[in-house]
Amino acid sequence: MQVSYFETGRYYAPSNLPRQWPMPAGAYDRAAGLRAFRGMVERSRYVEELGFDWVSVSEHHYSPRILTPSLPIAAAYIAQHVHTIKIALLGPIVPQSNPVLLAEEMAMLDTMTEGRLIVGMLRGTTNEMLTYDLNPEESRERTDEGMELILRAWKEPQPFGWQGRHFHYRTVSVWPKPLQQPLPPLYALGTSREASDFAARNHIGLGVSFGPFEAMGKVTGYYKGECARWGWQPEPHQIIYRANILIAETDEKAQQALAQYPRQAVFPLKDEVAAALLELDQRNVAGEGRRPANVNRALPINFCGGPDEIVAQLKEARERIGCGVVDLSFQTPGSDDPDALMDALELFGTKVLPHIRDI
Amino acid sequence: MAAGFREGFVEADGFRIRYREAGEGPALVHLHGAGGLRLTPAHELLSRKYRVVAFEMPGFGASAENTRTRDMAELARTMAAAAGALGLDRFNLMGTSFGGKAALWLGLQQPERVLALVLESPAAIRPPDAAPPAGTPEDMARRLFAHPERQPPLPAVDPQQAAKQAAFVRRVFGPPRDPDLEARLPGLAPPTLVLFGTRDAMIPPDIGHLYKELIPDCHLVFIYDAGHAIAAERPEAFTEVVSDFLDRHDAFVVSRTPTVIHP
Repeated sequence: MQVSYFETGRYYAPSNLPRQWPMPAGAYDRAAGLRAFRGMVERSRYVEELGFDWVSVSEHHYSPRILTPSLPIAAAYIAQHVHTIKIALLGPIVPQSNPVLLAEEMAMLDTMTEGRLIVGMLRGTTNEMLTYDLNPEESRERTDEGMELILRAWKEPQPFGWQGRHFHYRTVSVWPKPLQQPLPPLYALGTSREASDFAARNHIGLGVSFGPFEAMGKVTGYYKGECARWGWQPEPHQIIYRANILIAETDEKAQQALAQYPRQAVFPLKDEVAAALLELDQRNVAGEGRRPANVNRALPINFCGGPDEIVAQLKEARERIGCGVVDLSFQTPGSDDPDALMDALELFGTKVLPHIRDI
Repeated sequence: MAAGFREGFVEADGFRIRYREAGEGPALVHLHGAGGLRLTPAHELLSRKYRVVAFEMPGFGASAENTRTRDMAELARTMAAAAGALGLDRFNLMGTSFGGKAALWLGLQQPERVLALVLESPAAIRPPDAAPPAGTPEDMARRLFAHPERQPPLPAVDPQQAAKQAAFVRRVFGPPRDPDLEARLPGLAPPTLVLFGTRDAMIPPDIGHLYKELIPDCHLVFIYDAGHAIAAERPEAFTEVVSDFLDRHDAFVVSRTPTVIHP
C-alpha cells in the first residue's frame, strides 16, 4: 500500500475565528498565513524523509481550513523543496476552472517535477460552488466535460477546437505536454456513478473519500464492474481512498482525542444557503439512490487508534475498498500546536508505514 | 424535422437523382453517409441561413441499384454534375461519413466550385476493422449515437434496400487508408472543417488529426458528447460551428461572442 500525506496548509489562528463560511477576509492574520505556508514546506520535507509516497493538495477557497485555493501554485511551491516524493493534485475543481488552463498548468508541473505529478480531477464540495458563482445543477456536467477536454488537450498532436455544452474553444494546442508517457497517473475523484463511468471509460483511476469502508467498497466494486465492461481491470494503485486519520501512541489516547473532534462543520454555511445548495446539488453513491451533498456536517474520522490498530484498519480498508493508495488527512483535535501534527506524522511514519508496505 | 424540405429530382450523368431542398441564401450541398439520406434537425437549422440541398446519391434509397459508378472519384463527379444541373455553380459542400470521402474528391476535382468543405465524421480514413453500421434499427442506433436513448427510433430499413446500399458502398468505398486520395489531399484548395464527435463509436475521433496533417487549410473541431451522427445528436452545436466556419473560414477561430453581462 502506498501512502499520501494530505497537506492542507494548516492555519493556526491566533484568535477565535467566526464560525462561518465564507470566512471574512478581514479575519486573516498575515503572520499566521506566513507560518502556514512555511509549515507546508516543513511537513512536506518531513513526510518525504519518513518515506511517504505522495504529498497531496486539494483546492478549497475562502476559509482557513484548507489554505490552497490555487493548486498549481501550492504544488510548485512544495515541489521546489522536496526531491523524490510524488506531488498529487487531488484535486483541482474542474467545473469552475478553465480546463485548458488546467491542462497547461498540470503539464508544466509534471515537467517541473520531472514526472512526479499525480492528477485527480474533482467536482468539488458543495460550498465551493459559491466561490465563482457556479450553478450547482450544472456542476456534474461541467465536471465530466472539463475532464474530457483536459484529456483531449493532452493527447491531441494538432490544434483543435472544442464545441462543448459548457466549454467552447476554437483553438487549443497545449504546450508543454506532460513529461510522463502516455500521461501522468490520472484519477477521477468522487463516489458517484458518473465519476466511475468516466474513469472506467477513459481507463483512469478512481479516488473515493471519507465514506465508511462498506459504502466506499460498493463504489469501487461498481467502478471495477464498469472497467470490466470496457475491457480492463484497474491496478490497486488506481484506487485512492482519502480519509481522516487520528493516530496517537495508544488506542486510549486516540479515543480521548476523538471525543474532542467536532460533530458539525467548523465553518458552516448560513441555513438558507445550505438549504438552497442541498436542493440543487443531489449526489449518489455508485448510482444508488439520491442523497444530499455533504453540507454543514463534519467529515468523519475514518482511521483512529494507536499504531497497531491503525495498521489493522488500513488492512481492512485495503481488503474492503481495494485501495492501493490511502491519502491521509491527519487530525489533531483539541490541539493548536503545530508540533502535535509533526508528532502524528512521525508516529505514523515510524510505527505504521513499515508494516503496510506489503498489503 | 424535415418541415419545409421539398423533394425534387435532377438528371445528371445518366442518373435520376433525388434531393431534398429548403432555405435561401448561399448554397450548401450535402452528401450523406453510407446509410443513405436522412434529414436531421441540423438540416432545418442550417436552412434558416443557407439554401440546403441534400442529395440522395445514386444507388441509395429507392433509386435503382448503382452498378455503373466505379469508385468514389466517379461518384464525386456525378454529384458535381447534379449540383450543376440545379444551377449551383459555386457552393459550400458538406459530406457525412461515407459522403465525406465523396466530398473530398469533389473538392479536389473542382476546387473553383467549392467555397468551403465541411466533413462530418468523415470516413475517408478508417481503422482497418471499421464497418458501416448494420443490423436492426437498435443495433444501428448503438453504433451511430452516443446517447441512442435520447433519439427518436430509427426507421426500419427495407432489407433489400439495405443490402443494395451496402453492396454499393463495399464496391466503391476503397481501402481504409486510400493512398490515391491521401496523396492528393496536400493539394486540396477549399478551406476545410473536420468535425468528430468525442463519443464516435464507428471512427475513433483520435484519427481526426490525420486530416489536419494532410490538408493544408484544415480545422479540426470536436463536438463533445456526440457519437458518429453529430448533426442528429447535437444539432445546435453542429449548426453553430458549421455556419460560423462557412461564413468566416479561417477567421472563425476569432471569437465574436460578447461577454458583457450588464452594459
